[in-house]
Amino acid sequence: MFSLPTGQIGGRELFVVEFGDVVNYFSPYTASLFAFALIFTVIVIISRPERMVEIAFGGDAYLAKEIPTKDLAFQRFMAIACGLATLAAVVSGDLFNFALFTSMVGITNIGIVAAVRSRHVLNAAYQYGIVAMVATLPLFGAAAITLATTGSLSLWELYRAGITVPFVAKAFLVLGVMGEGMAPFYVAKAEITRAPGAPYILMIHVSSLLVFLRVVEIALSM
Amino acid sequence: MIEYLIAATFIGMLFHGIHRKVIARIQQRPGPPIWQEILHALKFSFKETWIPETASQALFVGVILVAIGIWSAALFVLLSGGSLLLLFGIYMLHKIVEHGTGLSSGSPYGKFGAIRSVITAAAEIPLFATIAAVYLFTGSLAISDIAAYQQVHGPLLFIVPPAALAMYLVILTKVYYSPFAVIESKEIVSGYKTEHFGVWRAALEVGFSLKTFVLLYAFVIVFIGLLPIWWTLLLMLAILVSISFVCALTPMLSPYDSVTVQSIATGLIVAALAVQWVVMA
Repeated sequence: MFSLPTGQIGGRELFVVEFGDVVNYFSPYTASLFAFALIFTVIVIISRPERMVEIAFGGDAYLAKEIPTKDLAFQRFMAIACGLATLAAVVSGDLFNFALFTSMVGITNIGIVAAVRSRHVLNAAYQYGIVAMVATLPLFGAAAITLATTGSLSLWELYRAGITVPFVAKAFLVLGVMGEGMAPFYVAKAEITRAPGAPYILMIHVSSLLVFLRVVEIALSM
Repeated sequence: MIEYLIAATFIGMLFHGIHRKVIARIQQRPGPPIWQEILHALKFSFKETWIPETASQALFVGVILVAIGIWSAALFVLLSGGSLLLLFGIYMLHKIVEHGTGLSSGSPYGKFGAIRSVITAAAEIPLFATIAAVYLFTGSLAISDIAAYQQVHGPLLFIVPPAALAMYLVILTKVYYSPFAVIESKEIVSGYKTEHFGVWRAALEVGFSLKTFVLLYAFVIVFIGLLPIWWTLLLMLAILVSISFVCALTPMLSPYDSVTVQSIATGLIVAALAVQWVVMA
């Protein structure tokens, strides 16, 4: 029933997993992304957070922060949800589901950041929240434009040589993913030094990177 | 496959040793013997090892296995003539390894290394230019197709030199003692690797030597073509020695200078590629 027309971008289709209308496909490329997301989701599930060590300036002293595990429970829950959304996004077989799961990645990323009890970190979560919410517009806009011009959201159809997806739709799609995946830049900010929970914080980076790698494949193949 | 993995690991470690030796000789120091990195890995393997009390244990160990896993997969992709896009993806995933290694211990030095790894994401941009240029000129991202294209049209090194320069910049960024190696510079001890010692460090060295081998091998296949193995190894060594010269003669940049230089270099490379594409079209 399903047969991917492009063989050169992500490799040939290996198998398809159907959940009613939601159809996912595994090629060497998407399967690799899926495996990587799965490994880090498992790591998040089994990991306990680290205890952050801070240097006391002006001397040789250092101290380890004690963070009660229950404080990080919500962060862990959000990280697992983020992992599951990433798993779905990297193997999604249609553009709407891809946009949907990518926006879920954005939402859960905000949750991971917002779970930390620190005013500075919460401010960062608020800023990223705004960016992620705004980014849903080009993300779903790309799906809408594609549907309006080609009559389909299925990647099996959109990858065919005879179907031309407008450049603006591809550009919106990439722009939307960049907005949803904005959160890794959070870790480059000073707030990271205040945020514990390395395995959960890392999931922000993992999810954004994998979704970005997937959108590169989709944009090139369409 | 296992014999290729073992050979690639040892050759990668030997390349690291040669890299250190060349840098030392340029700087008029005797330097270590070229097999020093192999000895290091063996020595670390038998050292007393534990997991720091403050570390997130599963992540601390898991990320090392991920490092070896992704670069083993990358070697498999190369040997099987798979997708260049997949290789690019694996290279990007290495960022997660650096980040996870640094964050997992709870150490401030590791954390600074991890943060620097994120802010130097500009190092990945040249690879975009490489992928885009190769796709535009060859019409495929399958490594086997790219090799076949070069058998007909000659090495891509001479067809799209800016793309080759972009990939060279990528390799330069990832080698030890690189001017862009801010994530492991000495003012933050060993950066993201600071708390990984003993067997953990030995395993990381295995992953990183595979990385060095894969990146050099990929450069030869993608920009010069499929050659007999001894020619391939010789060319990989020549590229490495040229990188050693750059590392020996260039000071390590500060994090912001590193990002600036990489961004400007990438911008120039992309502009050169665009001009070449327009002229040839």
